Amino acid sequence: MGHIDAALLASQDRHNDVGAAEEAAGASAAPDSEENIHYRIGQLTRTLHNALRELGYERDLADARDNLPDARDRLAYIARMTGEAAEKVLNAVDRARTVQQELTEQAGSLRNRWRAVATYSAGGRACTPTGKQLIDETCEFFADVGGQADRTNTILTDIMMAQDFHDLTGQVIRRVVTLAQSLEEQLVKVLIETSPVGQRLRPDQYKLEGPVVAPQERDDVVSDQKGVDDLLASMGF
Amino acid sequence: MSADPRFLIVDDFSTMRRIVRNLLKEIGFGNAEEAEDGQVALTMLKAGKFDFIVSDINMPNMNGFDLLKVVRSDDALKAIPFLMVTAEAKKDDIVLAAQCGASGYIVKPFTKATLEEKVQKILTKQS
Repeated sequence: MGHIDAALLASQDRHNDVGAAEEAAGASAAPDSEENIHYRIGQLTRTLHNALRELGYERDLADARDNLPDARDRLAYIARMTGEAAEKVLNAVDRARTVQQELTEQAGSLRNRWRAVATYSAGGRACTPTGKQLIDETCEFFADVGGQADRTNTILTDIMMAQDFHDLTGQVIRRVVTLAQSLEEQLVKVLIETSPVGQRLRPDQYKLEGPVVAPQERDDVVSDQKGVDDLLASMGF
Repeated sequence: MSADPRFLIVDDFSTMRRIVRNLLKEIGFGNAEEAEDGQVALTMLKAGKFDFIVSDINMPNMNGFDLLKVVRSDDALKAIPFLMVTAEAKKDDIVLAAQCGASGYIVKPFTKATLEEKVQKILTKQS
């Protein structure tokens, strides 16, 4: 028999006398009544509590409880830093777009002026063959700048879109922080309470769960936009 | 519908609001305001005229479902197109959004092409 099992049984034996009286009280309720279930959960909680204390795990639980706020702070730090990083990237993208726009406008203006020179030189006035080639290549270059700026803008859009990781990971972190907070509260209860509080959980109005981290393991979620569109189409939307 | 529709972007993450705003600008809709949750959005909707709502679902104070329900039950607001852009990928949520009157549903992460397609489709249907 394992160490924990033995301690649990020993703890159970020591509380048998009290337990017998409580059982008698509990047995008066209907077998599956809510009171009876609460009573049994309470009894299990007390047994677990005593066993943990005797095994010395109470200290471990207290340590775990003490460490949870630190874990929450660290997660909050990650959320804040990734958020700031995403904002910095978006600011940089905005600045780069402005530079690209100015470059495009300046190139367009210079191209028009060089075209005027090309037209002038086409009349055979004051332009060597090398000069004419230079003018043509310069005009061609300025014409390409607009297209290159468009391609750069597409890349900047990709960079901007990649910052959505902050929203998605942020939602997951928020859920983990909430979970840690809940766990902490539960640990505090286990540590300080000797009798359960018959507190009913309020069902959430909506059970929103944020980004699905493993959609391939579930059939109640969609994994991409096509899944959304197919589902809505099947409903006639 | 105005030739330059005014968008209201509702999301509790400022990064996502900026992304959606920039994308809308890129696809030709530069007239947009932002709200950080449903409650703020509702106040803005009642204070000024908006032609299109792009909203997240999972937000504090008032989530996207509640905002959608309030919008659809308000005579002055119920005709405004309402596009959900959310990380909620559960089929039940998508069905619920459709039943509550959402005009479209985009699941994050999404692309510029998806946003453009949905917005244009909704606007075309609206006109």
